[in-house]
Amino acid sequence: MLSRVASSLYWMSRYVERSDGILRMLKINYASAQDTIHEFTWDPVIRISSGGNEQEIRLMKNDSRKVVEYLLFNRNNPNSIINIITLARENARSVQEHIAKDLWQCLNEYYHTVKDPKLLGYVQKDDPMTALDILIRQVMLYYGTADSTMERGEIRSFMSIGKYLERSIQSIDILDIKFISINNNPDLLTDTSYWKHLLLSLGGYELYLKSYREGFSDENVLELVMLNSDFPRSARYSVNNIQRYFQRLKSEKNIDHYNGLSFNIGKLNSNITYSSVHTIKQEGLHNYLVNIRSSLYGIGNLLNEYYFANL
Amino acid sequence: MSEINLNNYKKIHETWDEMYVSDKKLRNQYQNILKYLKNESANDLNKKEELAKRLFMSQGITFTVYDSGEGIEKIFPFDIIPRIITASEWDFIEKGIRQRLKALNLFLKDVYTNQFILKDKVIPAQLVYSCPHFLREMHHLQVPHDIYTHIAGIDLIRDYDGTFYVLEDNLRTPSGVSYMLENREITKRLFPDLIPQCKVRSVTEYPAILYRNLLALSPRAVANPTIVLLSPGMYNSAYYEHTTLARLMGVELVEGRDLVIDEQKVFMKTTTGLQQVDVIYRRVDDDYIDPLVFNPGSVLGVAGLMSAYRKGNVAIVNAVGNGVADDKAIYGYVPEMIRYYLNEEPLLKNVPTYSMGNRDEREYVFGNIQKMVIKKTNGSGGYGMLMGHAAGQEEIEAYKREVMKDPRNFIAQPTISLSSAPCYIDGMLQPRRVDLRPFALYGPDGISIVPGGLTRVALKAGSLVVNSSQGGGSKDTWVLSNDTN
Repeated sequence: MLSRVASSLYWMSRYVERSDGILRMLKINYASAQDTIHEFTWDPVIRISSGGNEQEIRLMKNDSRKVVEYLLFNRNNPNSIINIITLARENARSVQEHIAKDLWQCLNEYYHTVKDPKLLGYVQKDDPMTALDILIRQVMLYYGTADSTMERGEIRSFMSIGKYLERSIQSIDILDIKFISINNNPDLLTDTSYWKHLLLSLGGYELYLKSYREGFSDENVLELVMLNSDFPRSARYSVNNIQRYFQRLKSEKNIDHYNGLSFNIGKLNSNITYSSVHTIKQEGLHNYLVNIRSSLYGIGNLLNEYYFANL
Repeated sequence: MSEINLNNYKKIHETWDEMYVSDKKLRNQYQNILKYLKNESANDLNKKEELAKRLFMSQGITFTVYDSGEGIEKIFPFDIIPRIITASEWDFIEKGIRQRLKALNLFLKDVYTNQFILKDKVIPAQLVYSCPHFLREMHHLQVPHDIYTHIAGIDLIRDYDGTFYVLEDNLRTPSGVSYMLENREITKRLFPDLIPQCKVRSVTEYPAILYRNLLALSPRAVANPTIVLLSPGMYNSAYYEHTTLARLMGVELVEGRDLVIDEQKVFMKTTTGLQQVDVIYRRVDDDYIDPLVFNPGSVLGVAGLMSAYRKGNVAIVNAVGNGVADDKAIYGYVPEMIRYYLNEEPLLKNVPTYSMGNRDEREYVFGNIQKMVIKKTNGSGGYGMLMGHAAGQEEIEAYKREVMKDPRNFIAQPTISLSSAPCYIDGMLQPRRVDLRPFALYGPDGISIVPGGLTRVALKAGSLVVNSSQGGGSKDTWVLSNDTN
């Protein structure tokens, strides 16, 4: 497969996954902002999911509608949904003959949905939740279509690697920011709604309730998000999948590159698999997360160099 | 339910109509389809028109217009009534194109090697050397099988008496063939059973023939040569055509940045390392193909490609430097080429052409400007022309001044009226002007012309310009397998 094609498939997939993460987080935080007696702060959400500048963020003054509008539609915010879906679609367009027609049409429709003025109307005047639900539905359609139409081969491997790499980075970022807030404000440790929203925005609330009967504790949350091998948004599950799809790319032609990258992915996977809440705490959570994140970025860089021919 | 009225079709005065001999008398080849249309209501036809639009849109058969950074996808207008060519007409066209293409290919071989035709003064050397598309870089460059014009889209028009004329020989990167294929696919849906009933010849062979020809050009004797289609990328207006052809032939669609040259060989960058490329079907113009040799600012091409080409390590389709043969000033000499190289009389006529570089001819043209069309020799897309009969005095004077700045760059031709064909517009059949672009493929085994082509239509009433950039559309083109039905 052409390197450019592999790169486009990988980025298409990363952008769609990123939009999924941002939308879910937005939805939960919006709901949370409607349901709090304390001053709700959008600050962590904006820091995780936008690359916008400080001034623009100050101007929004924590106004929920404005924040949602900014994260969905602002062209100056490089991670706004409209920007990343435009990029996902451009990537898909340039590899149209490699992806299923249904998948292209699905992504095309997602793009046109984001651009629909009705959606902006929901955010500015009516119920912003409706807009978020409509968009989340588009992502789900995309994943369903990808799953049922894409051939199982190199194409899907690159798409999956992109998806799980993006997902693991997101989970780690969310965890990191939420735990930093606790360091600054230890009262949050015992705040049930704080944990509830963290878990909801990662889609792990129900699994948490089923797995841990003794209520919310920071250690259990950490275990679920980092180490649970059955939770689809945990770091462990995502890295497992990166390894699984990467192994399918094995070819004698570029065995050195394959081995090099395989080593890195394997090392990261072992690092997570053989960690426990106890060892993570010993190392310091923030340090641990920083290390994992830099390993993930390292994998992205090697893919770029070895497989996408971008030196 | 109003039936569509087929009796109010008003032929355009002094114009060859593809369907009617006179206002009442129908040509034989249109009997079947007219019988079919008689049983349809306007409502039915409107529905068909809707279906056609929907099919084009949902299949993404669109070209993109870039406006303020956002791409707007548009469909190329399509008229549902096919244009029909009889078996004997096609027979003549096919022979004519074959002959013409053979001569043009010999001309390219000659002009880039021994230049006998210039030494014998059949074509003025000055005319060739002053052509911007005549590339010194091609001198004595050995192309595989001596074929330069692998793909040609020769534009034909018909004058008032039905005579076919060649309007242009497109020998560089002719486009439109995907519309020939898609139009047929859509017509199959619009008029079920009608195509076999009318014994229309199939066009689906095109990608297979092209692929076979490309395969035969591989300089390496390997079982599976690598063939690629080089596209300028998705911002190009013909990107849809590039992806379609790549998909139909099963070859990789590449951009300049996917290719590198190493030791005068071409490679593409793949996820498993570099893979050597043997044949490039390029849809990038000469100027942009190699920044080391031509336009240094180009990022669409590949640095060093020409050296690999010269070395014979890669075949390029169409050959580089073909522009000298389809230059509008050289065009006037094609009949001479046919006589010179083939010792035959040209079958297809040329439109009389006056080169503005010649003083006598220029004065004649200026004296009869109402009957003339003046064009730039390197213009295309229907831009930069002066239609003498429609232009105002000021426009004419301004254009004359433009011509005088560099007369070599202009030619003039008498206005040819173009034949008309019935189109379904506003609920009735109306005549509109059409041309025809059949696609000829020149391979080591000879020339193949798929029976059909792209019929372009000037959809504006009274217009003679069929270019898509100027409000033109297209029609499916039927070639009948025999004339007895």
